[in-house]
Amino acid sequence: MPSLSTRNSSRTPGPNGTPAIATNGLSKRFGPRKAVDGLSITVPSGTIAGFVGPNGAGKTTTLRMLLGLVRPTEGGATVLGIPLSDPPSYLPRVGGLVDAPTFYPSLSGRTNLEVLAQLGGLPRSRVDAVLETVELTDRAKDPAGRYSHGMKQRLGLAMALLPGPELLIVDEPANGLDPLGIIQLRDLLRGLRAQGKTIFLSSHLLGELERVADWLVVLNEGRALFCGPSSDLLDRRRELVVEADEPAQLDLVARIAGDAGYTINREGRSLRIACPIGFAEELDRRVRQAGGARVVTHVIGADLEETFLRMLQNDR
Amino acid sequence: MLPALRSELLKFRRWSVLAGAGVMIAASAGISYLTFHQITSGATGRELTDLIAAFPTTLGLLAVVGQARSLIIAVTVIMVTANIAAEWSQGTLRNLLIREPRRLRLLAGKMGALLLFVTVSGTLTLVVSAALIISLARSQGLSTEAWTSAEAARASLAFALNELVCLAGVTILGMLVAVLTRSAGAAVGVALAYVLVPEGLVAMVWLDASKWLPVRVFNYLPGSVMPVGIGPTPPQGYVAALIVALVWMVIFIAVSAVVFRRHDVVT
Repeated sequence: MPSLSTRNSSRTPGPNGTPAIATNGLSKRFGPRKAVDGLSITVPSGTIAGFVGPNGAGKTTTLRMLLGLVRPTEGGATVLGIPLSDPPSYLPRVGGLVDAPTFYPSLSGRTNLEVLAQLGGLPRSRVDAVLETVELTDRAKDPAGRYSHGMKQRLGLAMALLPGPELLIVDEPANGLDPLGIIQLRDLLRGLRAQGKTIFLSSHLLGELERVADWLVVLNEGRALFCGPSSDLLDRRRELVVEADEPAQLDLVARIAGDAGYTINREGRSLRIACPIGFAEELDRRVRQAGGARVVTHVIGADLEETFLRMLQNDR
Repeated sequence: MLPALRSELLKFRRWSVLAGAGVMIAASAGISYLTFHQITSGATGRELTDLIAAFPTTLGLLAVVGQARSLIIAVTVIMVTANIAAEWSQGTLRNLLIREPRRLRLLAGKMGALLLFVTVSGTLTLVVSAALIISLARSQGLSTEAWTSAEAARASLAFALNELVCLAGVTILGMLVAVLTRSAGAAVGVALAYVLVPEGLVAMVWLDASKWLPVRVFNYLPGSVMPVGIGPTPPQGYVAALIVALVWMVIFIAVSAVVFRRHDVVT
């Protein structure tokens, strides 16, 4: 069976060919524990890239390294083409939200944003703009400590959007949002992508990622299990169900699929073959070449959740 | 550094920050009042002897107002360490570092704003306490001519400037403690404990060495203007004390800068 080895896709990066993020053997050790272990990934410009992995996989540590909060132990990276060792050069073009959003609770939402705008040399008009984007204008003067969980999440997003970033790095942005908020977030991210921005977001909402992400990085125990277009990952994990009345027909199909290196499960008068969707046509051609009759095939899509769980199981 | 300083000043709108200054002003005025009352009510005691002697002189007002100096130092330490260390405790430091990754500029801006705040608070404290004591004295028919003379004004200015240098030293010490502990609770506890206890203990067993310790040296500076017996006057002389105070500040700043620049922000 073709293995889903860690590889960077052949997908063409952004307009100027520079990936938004490129890491090379990036590692971080905390005492004896290696939180990130030789991570080599790329994230093309102008994409929404999902970053998934179980708790403790190293996602937040990776994001913190990219945002200059944590120094790598080994390896390097570039962000917007600039070395990781030079955060003052790239961070003005990056927006970040790591872990739960944090504020000065006794200051208003507006003042919290003004503190960061002043610090980053950004005009005050940016504060009004991001408050409107996240729909917090009406409550902007209230102390941030009185905000609901969802409002705090939106304020955190506003903080990340303040510099009008080319690259947005966000950790669980949908956390605490109601369904409408999640839809609005999805639209916001797609809107940013349409403007040519890159979004690198870590999320446990695999269903949401499947809807919005066109690039995926799967992390486990500090190592990348997959890095590439989400369609590559999902297409490879689709299953072909082949039905035939004749057992001999099924045997023929099983032999052809087995020779091609795919895993087969037999269930009564049908076979389930884990293979790329494109194999259906190839299978049909080879069966007829071997003198068999046409077989009935259905495609069952593996969703990101199933794919993710299977990858983790295979990695153990 | 200016954007960082201006950004920091926005945060002073918090009631907790203003309350710290309020406590400093109110408590200091209270201690000054109590001291004044003790002297004018005819109280006696060895600890009052030098105060009573200094009361009618040009340094009399300073002697009364200066009794709150330990409290002012303690409140300053609490305000500064809590303010800086809270950035770690409440997780806001990572937001600041994403917007201003040049850590030393961020720290310098923060310290600049805090020094400005401490300067204003400290000055207000002295002015309010002095005004209170002068008005109390006049209301009781006591002469304040000596306290408002040109000589007293010069002494008051020297005292105020030295007090501000003392508070600057304490502020920088507070920054170091906050950067090392990275927790508001621990920072306040450690800083307060240090200011109140260890140097006094060292003084009990090794007096000669204790005169070079930072908080004592900072305290000698305004103490050098105080009447004899009230002080504390610098045993090594004013110039030596000032140089040592500046050396301690440079050491605290250097260590804070190195630690802050290199450490991982994981909260």
